[in-house]
Amino acid sequence: MIEKIKRKVLEDPLFGYFLVAPIVLWVFATLFYPLLRAIYMSFLNIEFLGERGRFIGWENYARILGDKEFGLSFIRTLIWSGANVLLQIILAFFAALVLDLEFKGQKFIRNWILLPWVIPVIVLAMIFRWMLDPSLGVVNYVLEKTNIVSSPIPFLGSVDWVMITAILVNTWRWFPFYAVMILATLQIIPVQLYEAAKIDGASPFQQFCYITLPHIMPVLVTVILICSLWAVNVFDMIWLLTRGGPGNATQTFPIFIYQKGFQEYRLSQAATAAVFMFILLLIYGTVYLRTITLEEK
Amino acid sequence: MNTVKQFFQTLIKYLAVLLLLFILVSPIYWIFVSSFKPTPELIRVTPTFIPHTLTLFHYLGLLKETNFMRYFLNSIYVATGSSLLVVILTSLAGYSIYRCRYIGRYFFFHMLLAIYIFPRVLLLLSLYPVFAKVNLVDNLLSLVITYVGITAPFNVWIMRAFFTSVPLELEDAALVDGANRLQILFKIFLPLVAPGIAAVAINSFLMSYGEYLFASILIISDEYKTLPVGMAQFLQGYEISWGWLASGSVLIILPPVIGFAFLGKYFIKGLTAGAIK
Repeated sequence: MIEKIKRKVLEDPLFGYFLVAPIVLWVFATLFYPLLRAIYMSFLNIEFLGERGRFIGWENYARILGDKEFGLSFIRTLIWSGANVLLQIILAFFAALVLDLEFKGQKFIRNWILLPWVIPVIVLAMIFRWMLDPSLGVVNYVLEKTNIVSSPIPFLGSVDWVMITAILVNTWRWFPFYAVMILATLQIIPVQLYEAAKIDGASPFQQFCYITLPHIMPVLVTVILICSLWAVNVFDMIWLLTRGGPGNATQTFPIFIYQKGFQEYRLSQAATAAVFMFILLLIYGTVYLRTITLEEK
Repeated sequence: MNTVKQFFQTLIKYLAVLLLLFILVSPIYWIFVSSFKPTPELIRVTPTFIPHTLTLFHYLGLLKETNFMRYFLNSIYVATGSSLLVVILTSLAGYSIYRCRYIGRYFFFHMLLAIYIFPRVLLLLSLYPVFAKVNLVDNLLSLVITYVGITAPFNVWIMRAFFTSVPLELEDAALVDGANRLQILFKIFLPLVAPGIAAVAINSFLMSYGEYLFASILIISDEYKTLPVGMAQFLQGYEISWGWLASGSVLIILPPVIGFAFLGKYFIKGLTAGAIK
């Protein structure tokens, strides 16, 4: 009798659809529809906002592929995301290992480690523009006083430095997020494993390689995927720190598309570049997940 | 011998903790003390690590001479509105996806996660003409609509742990007592998943409060600008007022930090549970 009621009520699919409908419709209207529309736009020749455009086939694609700046921004995107993922994971690992230790104030820091992530990007841009300023910035002052450098480094003003600076600032914002996720897995590794390893005479390094790493691998895979997808998509941090400059040195895909679309007003070409970016992300995501699921089997 | 070794282990441990603390806190400390320094001290070639004199000069200037308060209220409005809507949408969707059985629920779940490979600039390119058509450009509502779409899917994932941890027996008992599913959702689930709602609320608030990309294009007139777009103007030009930037930074940080102080632990719980599944 109870089973009957339960089955009847729980398996009423209409109710489930009814509850999930609002979010699905909302996401469809604000994300899926614009995506399709942008793909459509990439076949038109819209030159300014509000223009209807005319169908021109693959012309935009040919033009974008022949654009040298587009190729360069592709390479910059690779450097930007690769370095971000690497540094963020390393720093997140360090933070997670530290927070896994017993020390005074550990609970407090565990809660507040997300502080850099809580602060809006515009504030981070202002803070680091201020700290890294060549003439007034505290970072150059300390570096000069300690004789590490002889003349101030133009962190955000020179082509040689700006990319690495932006990468470091972005890393500072995001590593806590992944540290929390990695810490979560560290905490569910059974303590007995370490105790047994100690009795067998394993060094801390061996313990790390044979116990910690294998346990963390599944989460690390997820973290690397999320981390790289988000890194490729970063716009505001780069834009507010550098505006893509100096001399396009930090012009990654999102910056390239934004400038094409909203500064040069070549909307269709911007859409084409964005479609390329979408396809690359799609391929990356699928291949990455495929490889991982194959390895697990 | 052993005590020496232990001493060094403790020393290294606390050095690592200090290093982590330094990385996390030093930039925030620096902007905080800078905001209270009088201008001559602020732009001195040898900076003072502990300010000699404290002043509210920059704060008063920022509030009186700029539109900061306007931007601030706009940001709060947009973030609160989006956060409220996201909470409603994700509570309903969370219950549906994690607790109801029907064909297609996994599809919905994956669809919601898949949108994170959509480049945001791509969405902006085609959202602008759509909003222009319905006269919502230069209107804060367009931001609310967009932010809900962008932040809701990730928050469905955050809700997962909270919904799946409610024991099945509770639901069964209520069913036997003759409650219908809507009553179960509102009377049993919502109180139990309150921490999840808190996590979603703070997360979507933070994401909408600091969003720059969409706000920079969809808003045109100064009176509707949000904090990120309004403050970005101060970063341009040759004469940058560092005092305003510093005091503005501190004021902008306040609402997120206060919110996080109360609700942050729930978000961390959701993120943690999501990571280990």
